[in-house]
Amino acid sequence: MLKEEFRTHSSYSGGTRFLTFPVFVFILSLLSGLTLDKMTEAVPLSQLGTFAHLSSFLYGLSVGAFGLMGREYLDRRYGRNNYLVAMPYLLPLSFRTTFLGIYFRDAVFYVLLMLLPATLGLLAAAPFVGFSLVSIGLLFGSVLLAFMFGLSLSFLASVVFIRNMKVFIGFTAVIAALFVGQGVFGLPELEVLIPSLGFQSNVRPFGDDASSALLYAGASVALTVAFAVAAYFLVEVRISISSQSYSEILPKYHSKMTWLSGLNRTLVAKEFVDLRRSGTVAKMFFSFVLPLLFLSFTVWFVNYGLAIPVGFNAVFYAAMVGFVAVLMYSWLNNIDLAEYYSLLPVTVPQLIKVRMMVFLMLTSGVSVFFVVAIALLNGETQLLWLALIVMVVTSVYIVTMTAYLTGLKTNSFLFDTGILMRFSVMSFLPDVCLTILSFSLTANWVFAVFGIALVLGVLSVTTLILYRGIPAKWGSASF
Amino acid sequence: MAVLEAREIVKDFGGMRALDHVTITVNKGDFFGFFGPNGAGKTTLIRILTGQLAPNSGSVNVLGVDVVKNPLKVKELIGIVPEVESPPTYLTAYEYLYFVGKVRNLDKLEDRIERWLTFFDLEEKKGTICKDMSKGMRQKLMLASAFIHEPALLFLDEPFINLDPIYQRILRDFLEDYISKGGTVFMASHILEIAERLCNRLSIVNLGKVVAHGSMEELLKGGDNLERLFLRSVGIETRGE
Repeated sequence: MLKEEFRTHSSYSGGTRFLTFPVFVFILSLLSGLTLDKMTEAVPLSQLGTFAHLSSFLYGLSVGAFGLMGREYLDRRYGRNNYLVAMPYLLPLSFRTTFLGIYFRDAVFYVLLMLLPATLGLLAAAPFVGFSLVSIGLLFGSVLLAFMFGLSLSFLASVVFIRNMKVFIGFTAVIAALFVGQGVFGLPELEVLIPSLGFQSNVRPFGDDASSALLYAGASVALTVAFAVAAYFLVEVRISISSQSYSEILPKYHSKMTWLSGLNRTLVAKEFVDLRRSGTVAKMFFSFVLPLLFLSFTVWFVNYGLAIPVGFNAVFYAAMVGFVAVLMYSWLNNIDLAEYYSLLPVTVPQLIKVRMMVFLMLTSGVSVFFVVAIALLNGETQLLWLALIVMVVTSVYIVTMTAYLTGLKTNSFLFDTGILMRFSVMSFLPDVCLTILSFSLTANWVFAVFGIALVLGVLSVTTLILYRGIPAKWGSASF
Repeated sequence: MAVLEAREIVKDFGGMRALDHVTITVNKGDFFGFFGPNGAGKTTLIRILTGQLAPNSGSVNVLGVDVVKNPLKVKELIGIVPEVESPPTYLTAYEYLYFVGKVRNLDKLEDRIERWLTFFDLEEKKGTICKDMSKGMRQKLMLASAFIHEPALLFLDEPFINLDPIYQRILRDFLEDYISKGGTVFMASHILEIAERLCNRLSIVNLGKVVAHGSMEELLKGGDNLERLFLRSVGIETRGE
């Protein structure tokens, strides 16, 4: 399974290029280690530790939804790509066994891909900045626990999602309520929600209470195992073929999309049928709305929890909405195999542009709602016009840039170091500029608006260039 | 009149040469058979001839169109049934044909869909989405989607696979009728008994090279049959030889 995962990722960018990804992480971590002194002047070490744990937990959550992915691979098993998860159809294996195999595969694969190179980067920096090797080891153990905790929780949630939607909604609502409670009332403590954080804060350099540290570590391991075991026993695969008959909705969707014409109309209508029948709309909604809520929570936490006065306003949120929305484009490329398009007079660039259209149709409403809501809640209706322009320009820019760089295989191409670096620079730079300029709005309105207009102008021109470049870049690609 | 001319096609995958200077001509009205062992390069050649894959070198002209320069135009004119039947997961049989018809901008689409759903006995299952279909149903749907625009040239990669004997017979009759009305078929198949009955011209490919090419009559003279010709061409000796 490890080999399968490696080959899946490296099939797009090549094995060597894919292997440069952990090297990239190593270098980034090394540089962070070497500049830690400077960083801690702005942000205390304990908060950097909290950030590392939260990131690792979210990383585990994001890769652990293989209950869903496994089922999708099973649904697609007659295509060109078959996955080992489908082996129980042919061999004396149970689906529980293969799903557990994926659990361990992902644990090993993503630790090797990210956590281990990051730790090695810190180890390499240690002789120059005087890090204790024991502390680095403890940090690795603690962050690993956070990752495994997220992975198990996500595995369980995805399995519950397949078995019973109502229970899944209840399950996620309870978890969301716990985190909201933490954010708003400070209860339960963050260490209780992510126990490995408690472990970290009780060992050096943050504390020195071995018994408390062991208690938190034990709790983290116990919960991780409990979630994984529960998921293992709840795995359900419906081997029987459904006899459900569906009404013909494609012609209805096609006839309703009167504002589109020709091939675009047909392809967009078909994308919406896929979205509806695959249940991806709900997943996309969560993957878009949850990061927005998380962003709001983080900002609130920095402002009020950590009492760091930073001028987050509606314009800042608007820029962030645009950047978060890229997840939605990635989802669109993951609904179904697209091999059958190669039999029809359709090109890869045409489908890319259609998916960009669908992306904008899906995200515009939620994005506008979010920005308007934030402006109203913060009492910043005077900034709303600017925030909406920022949101529209950044959303269109980020999807165009992602589509240009990754085509129809976003998830895989973002593991190509070269593409990831370009993606990071092209999203990070305007993001930082817009963030700083949005903070300047209260201090120097004219300067900030002029600066934002300049950034938006550059983004618009870049968007146009990239959009026009899609046919040349992807014209000879196969589906 | 040639409807397909492929000259000196070379295709490499990494360090492996899949097709080595392959030259093939198919005339209008031919039922052209393309045979070879597993991995010989049959599917690769079909993908190149149909504009799904670009060759490293060589030229392909299909129905007067340069396939390498204008793959989209070629796909408008031809029908393709691939080796692996993989219609869109979430569309019903009706919707897939509707989708194909709209992409191809066909007139009288309802009539066409009705005709092919009936022809392949998919009417009762027209509300089933593709992921819930049997392999046979998927194959019928892929065939229907390749025939729906009445192309002048059909590329069929193992068209009889997954079909029951009844539908193998129905498809055979349809293809013979299609040829008699002026159509052309390029077919790759391992089912040599059926191929021998249908094809008038053929090529055999082995290790990426054409090892036999010509009319069925000419290649099978002297009481030979397609199976023996095939085995001999790819270097396998049969009993009594």
